[in-house]
Amino acid sequence: MSEELTVGAVAYTPNVVPIWEEIRAYFNESGDPGAAMDFVLYSNYGRLVSALLAGHVDIAWNTNLAYVRAVMQTDDHCVALAQRDTDVGFTTVFVARTGSGLTGAEAIAGKRLALGSADSAHAAILPLHYLAQAGVPASDIQIIRFDTDIGKHGDTGRSELDAVEAVLAGDADVAAIGSTTWEAMGRDELMPGALEEVWRTDGYCHCMFTALDTLPPERYQPWLDKLLAMDWENPEHRRILELEGLRRWVSPHLDGYKPLFAAVEEQGIDPRW
Amino acid sequence: MVIFDLMRLMGTLADGASGEITVGSAAEREVAEKWCARSGNTVVQADLDEAGAGTLTVRRGRPPDPVQVLGPSRMPGARLWMYTNFHCNLACDYCCVASSPQTPRRELGAARIARLAAEAADWGVQEIFLTGGEPFLLADIGTIVGSCAELLPTTVLTNGMVFKGRGLRELESIPRDGVALQISLDSATPEPHDAHRGEGSWAKAVAGIQLAVGLGFRVRVAATIAAPAPGVLSAFHRFLDDLGIATDDQVVRPIAHEGVASAGVVLTRASLVPEITVTDEGVYWHPVAATDDNALVTNRLEPLTPALDEISEAFAQQWARAAGAAELFPCA
Repeated sequence: MSEELTVGAVAYTPNVVPIWEEIRAYFNESGDPGAAMDFVLYSNYGRLVSALLAGHVDIAWNTNLAYVRAVMQTDDHCVALAQRDTDVGFTTVFVARTGSGLTGAEAIAGKRLALGSADSAHAAILPLHYLAQAGVPASDIQIIRFDTDIGKHGDTGRSELDAVEAVLAGDADVAAIGSTTWEAMGRDELMPGALEEVWRTDGYCHCMFTALDTLPPERYQPWLDKLLAMDWENPEHRRILELEGLRRWVSPHLDGYKPLFAAVEEQGIDPRW
Repeated sequence: MVIFDLMRLMGTLADGASGEITVGSAAEREVAEKWCARSGNTVVQADLDEAGAGTLTVRRGRPPDPVQVLGPSRMPGARLWMYTNFHCNLACDYCCVASSPQTPRRELGAARIARLAAEAADWGVQEIFLTGGEPFLLADIGTIVGSCAELLPTTVLTNGMVFKGRGLRELESIPRDGVALQISLDSATPEPHDAHRGEGSWAKAVAGIQLAVGLGFRVRVAATIAAPAPGVLSAFHRFLDDLGIATDDQVVRPIAHEGVASAGVVLTRASLVPEITVTDEGVYWHPVAATDDNALVTNRLEPLTPALDEISEAFAQQWARAAGAAELFPCA
């Protein structure tokens, strides 16, 4: 019997614990010892990536920035294994108070832009990258940062709520938030007359299961096969999928990380922390 | 804004845990309800004043489905217990209904049992359990079991000690299909069993088990054990394996603090998933509390349907309250 894999993740909410308890039970319940796993939770993504590089975990459940940093720190000796369907086509949404009259990227030039935590790819790094691509450099914007969940890469959503509340309070004109946060708020369906969408970026990729290329395929392949075999139509699988926020696991879409690699380079973001 | 308060609250909760938010108006409460419905969370309690301002208790996630947690066979109304009688040839010191040879005769009667079984089957009950006292002290127990078994799978609880003479003839008359005998045996050796049930009772019970198995009955052995020493349970299961008892039919349960039991697990109506139970005096919440006034649902036995409905509804409300009250974490 082969040794179980150790998967690392970040405990950004207490709910991470029951989620991983259920994921572990799924992998360990079958008669396939090659897929067996345990998990370790870290307080932030810096610790998680360090643990992956040190060999303390075999696989890391990384955010997009953690994946990019793992690739940069290993000189591309990483293997991308799988991601959620909801990690593909992720976007950043720019919202303003209803009736602001702002439309399109160019309307954000000269405005007060509220961003989430500086290490949040979707609420801080990529918004500035896409705005620059659209002809609105950071120097043309008054940036207001809410670094309220540093280390969690924006997973808590807390800094995005702070940014939106600044807009509603009149302290900022526009907030950049993840499309999942915008959906979770209920958009204008639950907040009619409060907020409206000004612009949104192209799609990019978010989280990724990452290993080092020193992990032999025969060690991770049974685990990966079982991960990809989760079925939305199976009620026991569906409960896990709902908790983790996806309908199915998919193979990596590496093109979706190119914007973040570019943004990290443009903005001089530290490859480690 | 109430939606932001809810989103922040959820970030502090694990699935199944609850917390509180304040709302300032009925409109905010409505938004909170809509957000919870949309996001798969649950408002479990609202403490509001006349203006609609106050506190909402919100659970992260949906309430657990009792069918998934308990299994369909343990849902209220899936089983109907009937106390055929209360007198017994034994006087076990932990009997939950204090049965003994001195217990006044109280019987449901064959005709009433047949009517109750038919009504229960029509309502949706899936399994009948006949218990006592010792059912095989009744002269017409064969008729009673037969009338139930022709409608639903039926289990008869017995100490297995009275399968002789008339008792044996009654046993032999019972159909094998759809009937299980649940015989009480507390240990693999005589001493622990006899200590509670009387000298020589273990040997008679084992003989009863062997007789019933030999006659082709499905036999389930139920043990009542307070605190087994290391190795006791495994030895007991080996003993039952040798008697030919299927693994799934080897049931070990704790002592309930009811009847004449002076110590044991304290069971309350709030802590018990109901298993609807009928005695000659009324309908009760659970068979371990069939002489406990606190567990009495109604003195009216027939028709049985209103009691079945009432207990199912009460359980649904109790389940919802328990799901909401569990793991309450007030947030500042």
